[in-house]
Amino acid sequence: MNIFLKIAKWQIITIILVAAGTYCRAALAQPIRVVATFPDLADITRQIGKNLVSVESLATGVEDPHGVPMKPSFVPRLNRANVLVVTGLDDEHSWLPALLEVASNPKILLGQPGYIDCSVGVPVLEAPTRLDRAEGDLHPKGNPHYLLDPTYGKIAAQNIAAGLARSFPQYQADFDKNLKAYLGELDNWISRWEKIAAPLRGVKYVEYHPEWVYFANHFGLKRVGSIELKPGIEPTPNHLVELVQQIKQEKALVLIYGSQNPRIPQQLQGETGIKVLRLYTSAGARSETDTYIKWIDYTVRSLVQAVS
Amino acid sequence: MALPRLWAAPMLAAVAFGAFAIFLPALSLAQSSEIEQLRSVVDGLQQQLQKALQRIDQLEKERTATSDKVNELEQEKTTTSDRIGQVEKSVQAVQSASSALNPAIGMVLDANVSQRSKAGGNFNFRSAEIGLAASVDPFARMYGFINGTSDGVEVDEAAAVTTSLPWNLTAKGGRFLADFGRFPKVHEHELPFVNQPLSIERMIGGETRADGAELNYLFPTPFFLRATLGGYNEIGEENQQVDNRQSRSWSRFTYLGRLNTYFDLSDNHSIELGTSMAYTPSVRLTGSADGGDRMLNGIDLTYRFQPLASTVYQGVTVGSEIFRNSEQFAFESVAKRREAFGGYSYAELKLSKNWSTGFLFDYAPSVSSPGKKTIGYSPFVTWNMSEFNRLRFQFTHADDRVREDKNDGGNQVFLQWTTVIGAHTHGFLGR
Repeated sequence: MNIFLKIAKWQIITIILVAAGTYCRAALAQPIRVVATFPDLADITRQIGKNLVSVESLATGVEDPHGVPMKPSFVPRLNRANVLVVTGLDDEHSWLPALLEVASNPKILLGQPGYIDCSVGVPVLEAPTRLDRAEGDLHPKGNPHYLLDPTYGKIAAQNIAAGLARSFPQYQADFDKNLKAYLGELDNWISRWEKIAAPLRGVKYVEYHPEWVYFANHFGLKRVGSIELKPGIEPTPNHLVELVQQIKQEKALVLIYGSQNPRIPQQLQGETGIKVLRLYTSAGARSETDTYIKWIDYTVRSLVQAVS
Repeated sequence: MALPRLWAAPMLAAVAFGAFAIFLPALSLAQSSEIEQLRSVVDGLQQQLQKALQRIDQLEKERTATSDKVNELEQEKTTTSDRIGQVEKSVQAVQSASSALNPAIGMVLDANVSQRSKAGGNFNFRSAEIGLAASVDPFARMYGFINGTSDGVEVDEAAAVTTSLPWNLTAKGGRFLADFGRFPKVHEHELPFVNQPLSIERMIGGETRADGAELNYLFPTPFFLRATLGGYNEIGEENQQVDNRQSRSWSRFTYLGRLNTYFDLSDNHSIELGTSMAYTPSVRLTGSADGGDRMLNGIDLTYRFQPLASTVYQGVTVGSEIFRNSEQFAFESVAKRREAFGGYSYAELKLSKNWSTGFLFDYAPSVSSPGKKTIGYSPFVTWNMSEFNRLRFQFTHADDRVREDKNDGGNQVFLQWTTVIGAHTHGFLGR
């Protein structure tokens, strides 16, 4: 009887150890759960993390980046995330902070290792010299649409690799290797885009919202004006009259808008003959732009096609 | 022998002269070719020297230019360093300023002009709300809303909220809007229509302002499911049934439970559902012998159509809340129970980024005489000049059978102006 008891005891201990081991292995084998605010950041994270990460994007890419609906269904995703990847520069200020308030996940709050701000180190453009809402709905830290310049896509990739390694140092070598490969791939694409985009140099454009300055700086386009009276402020009739004159005088070739209402761009096209292009400021808005590289490529080619 | 000696010298001279005469032209020719060669060598050398001198000049010029450029760069470097120094000093100044750790601050002004067929017109300074918010430390944040109205100034909310509790828990304490229903816990200027529905005012006592504590739990489910448990002195800004300032038995406090869930029907369609209950075991003013229990229930349902590609300028929201109040009261020393049902429904259609319109239906019973009720119909139009500046026009027709207040019935017209300065947010619950 005593022997049976001993055997049973050892059986129970063995089962517990095997179960614990299996659980630990399962826990260790689980990919790093990453939530990115936009699909371009999600794609870059996938390129850096490869099979070590499982990445979800909150926005789909078609939304106005400043007006992504504050869906409660985002809350469980944020709650389970090991890492949060954001554009930064207050791009997500109208919807993300309130979701983080209820997500009950201290690991991914601002300032924590799991919070990756991709804008760190980006030479920010259009930082306001006067912080006053009379100047519109300002971004006090500067224009947040830097991912439209692929050079800064490289900075975002570096920030993501560093951020992932901060939370998961055991995979640093993998992240570094993947980052190096991705940066090389981006460099090749950048040289290709620069050749393709030669006809864009000096092209004058109009935009709906000030989103295209980084792209314009990289590829040599010149901004003539914006449909919005001030950032985030819909135009007045007088502003539109002035803009029509400006388009005609400056011979602007293309008008770019994204998630905004197409009514005014179409009206301006009718009045001036300017070419109107709907180009989103994030990857993922179209099936052919599901990665960061494909999105920039689509954007460059669409603009070149429009002006040639 | 003397003769030959005499002739020897002239002979030698003659031979020498002859030889000189014979060889001189040849010698002269050889010398001239050497000179030519030498001359060409010298010319070559001169040319090389000229080139070398030119090169030296060129290098001199280049050196000078480089030196100028270096000087220029040095100057630029100095200027840039000075500029960076200035910026650093400026950043340090901002960081070390006494205001550096001050909370985010903002103010909302909510004013309207109204005309009521039964009460007349009025310029109504409804609210000037100052909001403050900041992190307390790594474990909590705090926010407050101080509200000035035509009746005076009071603290509308001042609450601390934990930020790092384990097990998906969040605790809140202080004065805040208790988590009952959907619109009862939303500040009036944040509503999609001008006035808080009369059903909320009568059945809850206005906004769910409460002094107390709440514990929230986010379920680890793949969909959003959140529970709230709370205990308060009382719920309702204008709730007069309990004296908020007196210590009393714990049976005379109000206890709350709420469940809130949300489902995406598709990328563009969603539904949100909530159920709330607030229970007070004994509703009794201090010193009063009478009183009984009170149970307030609510169900809220919100449907949203938010087309992702055009959320900024298109969308529909339909919301509804139903409340039930059941309370015991003493009538001629006999305990009796009365029940009242009320609620509202509304729909709002976004026409463009700036314009939206909608309709509110409100069914508001009298809590003390549940048979009497007021039914209101309110179409409204909103013009958002910007995110921080809004005008709203509303017409209300109210069939008032309760007749407690002239303002509640008849035809009413409102023009509301709401403006915001500084930082302003009511967070997730105010969405």
